[in-house]
Amino acid sequence: MIAGTDRELKMLDKASAEFARKELAPERQENDRYPDAPLFEKTIKKAYDLEYFHMILPEALNGVGQGVAALCVILYNICREDSSLGGLIFTNAAAQELHIAAGAEEILKAVTEPADSIYNFLIAAPVFNNPRDMDNAADAAMQDGRYLLSGRVEYTVAGNIARHAVVPAKTEDAAGCSFFLLDLSSEGVTVSAPIPSLGLHACPAVDITLDRVPCSLLGQVGEGPQYFGKMAGRMSAAAAAMSAGIMKGSLTEALEYSRGRFQGGKRIVDWSEIRMMLAEMAVKVKTAECMVSRISQGIDQQETGWQEYAEAAAIDIQRSACGLTTDGIQVLGGVGYMKDFGQEKRFRDAKHIQALLGMVPTKKLRLIEGMFR
Amino acid sequence: MISRKEVKAYSAMPPVFEDITCGLASAPKLPKPMVKETRRVIALARKFNKEVVRPYALELDSKLQASPDYIPWDFVEQANEWGLYTGWIPKIFGGKGWNMPSLAYFIEEIASECLAMANLVGVHYLGVSTLTSTGNVRLINQICRQVAAGEKTHTPCLVSLATTEPGAGTDAEEIDLMDKGTMTCTAERVPGGYKLNGTKVFISNGHLSTWHMVIAYSDTSKPSENTVVLAVKTGDKGFSFGRKEQKMGQKGCPASELIFKDCFVPDEYVCFSPEQIRSLKRTVRETGMQMIDYVVSTTRAGVGAFGTGAARGAYNEAKKFAAETEVGGKRLINHEWAQCMLAEMLKNVMTARLTYVEANSANGLYGAFRDLQRKPMFYYYRLMPAKFFDKMVSPMLEKAFMTKTFRRVQLDGQTDEEIHRTSGWASLSKVAATDLGIRNCHMALELMGQHGLRRSYRVEKMLRDAKLLQIYEGTNQLNRLNIFKCMIAGDCPQAVIFDE
Ligand SMILES: Cc1cc2nc3c(=O)[nH]c(=O)nc-3n(C[C@H](O)[C@H](O)[C@H](O)COP(=O)(O)OP(=O)(O)OC[C@H]3O[C@@H](n4cnc5c(N)ncnc54)[C@H](O)[C@@H]3O)c2cc1C
Repeated sequence: MIAGTDRELKMLDKASAEFARKELAPERQENDRYPDAPLFEKTIKKAYDLEYFHMILPEALNGVGQGVAALCVILYNICREDSSLGGLIFTNAAAQELHIAAGAEEILKAVTEPADSIYNFLIAAPVFNNPRDMDNAADAAMQDGRYLLSGRVEYTVAGNIARHAVVPAKTEDAAGCSFFLLDLSSEGVTVSAPIPSLGLHACPAVDITLDRVPCSLLGQVGEGPQYFGKMAGRMSAAAAAMSAGIMKGSLTEALEYSRGRFQGGKRIVDWSEIRMMLAEMAVKVKTAECMVSRISQGIDQQETGWQEYAEAAAIDIQRSACGLTTDGIQVLGGVGYMKDFGQEKRFRDAKHIQALLGMVPTKKLRLIEGMFR
Repeated sequence: MISRKEVKAYSAMPPVFEDITCGLASAPKLPKPMVKETRRVIALARKFNKEVVRPYALELDSKLQASPDYIPWDFVEQANEWGLYTGWIPKIFGGKGWNMPSLAYFIEEIASECLAMANLVGVHYLGVSTLTSTGNVRLINQICRQVAAGEKTHTPCLVSLATTEPGAGTDAEEIDLMDKGTMTCTAERVPGGYKLNGTKVFISNGHLSTWHMVIAYSDTSKPSENTVVLAVKTGDKGFSFGRKEQKMGQKGCPASELIFKDCFVPDEYVCFSPEQIRSLKRTVRETGMQMIDYVVSTTRAGVGAFGTGAARGAYNEAKKFAAETEVGGKRLINHEWAQCMLAEMLKNVMTARLTYVEANSANGLYGAFRDLQRKPMFYYYRLMPAKFFDKMVSPMLEKAFMTKTFRRVQLDGQTDEEIHRTSGWASLSKVAATDLGIRNCHMALELMGQHGLRRSYRVEKMLRDAKLLQIYEGTNQLNRLNIFKCMIAGDCPQAVIFDE
């Protein structure tokens, strides 16, 4: 459904679904043990080789320039099985989009063009905080014509596995923050251990401490919140696609289990209360798929008002995913709560993903603010 | 204006007066010292939280994340030192005899800091109340006194309940489903006792418990009429532990597999069997359901307290965060929308609490707490020294007539309406409070943004922990059906349940 009738998207849909089934599903439980188990580097590398990390990046910048719809198709399929990889792809795409929103294509190109590995290509970013929400910025000071960053940036996703990071920092001469690109292998950078978190365990977030680290300013000083807003508009469709994928995965597992589990002398799917729960789940999945397909298309075609539609749909789908994955566990009863099945991880991941791009209440308020303008 | 006859008739119209006034009717009957005692219990819980639970909750969770096989003996030993495993065992059986409704308040307090640790304490009383519900006074006395001895000797002696089987979870909770399902845990009658075979799964505190109340069936083609409750001790021949589950939350509280292979249980450890209850006024099948209801009327209200604790913990953390954090350049707590969110969360806490309090009022008037809360009994237990019970009363409890009398009073003394009222209210509390617990965890996480995702901010653990509450003690779906059965079906003679 998400791919629609577009031939290229349909091919991508098939390929990414196959990849998720073969590469992600079998190792889901083990991969989720990170950092108590190794990171699934081989799988990340495979996804990189398949150019899933290049999807939204324009061809001129060494990407495949497929647009938001293609990114959504991939994220949807991947998150059906394991959204940690989805989180990494999302973060990288968001970091790239921040560059583009700031008109800093040349800086981005300097990263992507010479990159010969996922480590060099990947850009970390604190994608869970909208700079207009909470203060999570370093301090930028100008010295000899260049900016040096000091201070702390919390919850930077992929900060321990990427070569570069985009981080917000405050400058003396502007009220709003600015975004900077820095090399995490530079002197003065300290990266914390992966932060134990609710979900997306194999998409680690870290706190970064900086001590006079050289960096490149993206766009104009003080324009960070605007760039973030622009990026968030497009990327909210991708976040919605992730949630929709989780929902689909949860429904699939619930359907499968309910056909095989017997209680009260019949398959539990034949108790009408379970059937009703599954029906509610299906309504949510279908609606979410429909919305993701439509908004991603709207964004790629620059339809009027696309940003509001995308942000509203994302809020709704993410909320829906949290409710649905609760029922996804419930249909399985006790085993749904165990690591042996995928439902518990989907439940955690759905809630985790809801926090992408900022706090839920402020995302809603910003939507209505936009309508008042 | 209105005649006596009319009052009677109108009160009997749905909702029946007694169904909606449990708290009101129970208040004047409560012995006064219960309030003071409950205050002490809550204070004790808060002290225990401050000294033991809060400092260790995240560490225990992380420990189990890294080493899933870890068994939290360290916590159990501390809880044992604090007297928490005998607190709610009646004095007549060697316990401290704190009033039963205070257990729910206690659980709410602990659960507001850590649901796993609340479970490490609370689930023991699930085992104890199952034992008590069998009415087998000799065994209740014997096992409860071992729990008390374990406290004195610093060797915790916990009790678990083993009902769930790999093929029967919901089915094991409801007589009407049992016979249609596939129960496989068999208790075969052999000379001098029963031979137990089968597997039980997801047994909370399994690895930590000394005694296990095992529900088995002497004829699996008609389990509803052939249910036996056996007391099996860890170490008994033919009994072993299988896997320890890897769960999403409540990691600190083990969920264990119990495996029985030709495990011989002598007659003296048969808590309950059909032969023992034939002289009661209800049929074996009806008594079986009554016993289930007797247990779950208290324990599901207890899960209501867990849910309230979850709702409260999430609210507390969100409130603290909102007071300390700036959002959009101003304190979060000073955004009007955040104030309303916090108010909504507090409303959820208060509403959840009211449900378990009401359910326990019903238990005090019509169910498991009734005899303990009757004023003469209450004061008798309270004023007589423990030694009197140990020396004078305890030997009497060995006599068979005591069990007979106890069962008559306990089981025959309860009307069908009373069974429905207590069981219905308990299910209602379980469903309402656990759903509200989950709701508040979601709201807290939404309010806290990226901070909420971090373990160190505690709420993500609360959400993981709270989800279990909607599953165990019967899924919330089964509990909704029980609400229908107990509180709605009576109004509609056409209604049939578990038969579609
Ligand atoms: C961590 C944990 C700790 C536990 N602790 C204990 C314990 O200490 N002791 C113990 O005995 N058990 C314990 N349990 C078991 C628990 O009580 C069961 O998991 C619960 O009763 C559900 O049973 P099930 O898991 O077999 O699910 P199932 O019964 O298989 O249910 C699966 C789904 O089908 C639905 N369903 C089943 N039958 C019907 C029906 N007739 N109508 C409508 N829907 C239906 C259920 O609501 C559920 O959504 C524990 C479980 C867990 C997860």
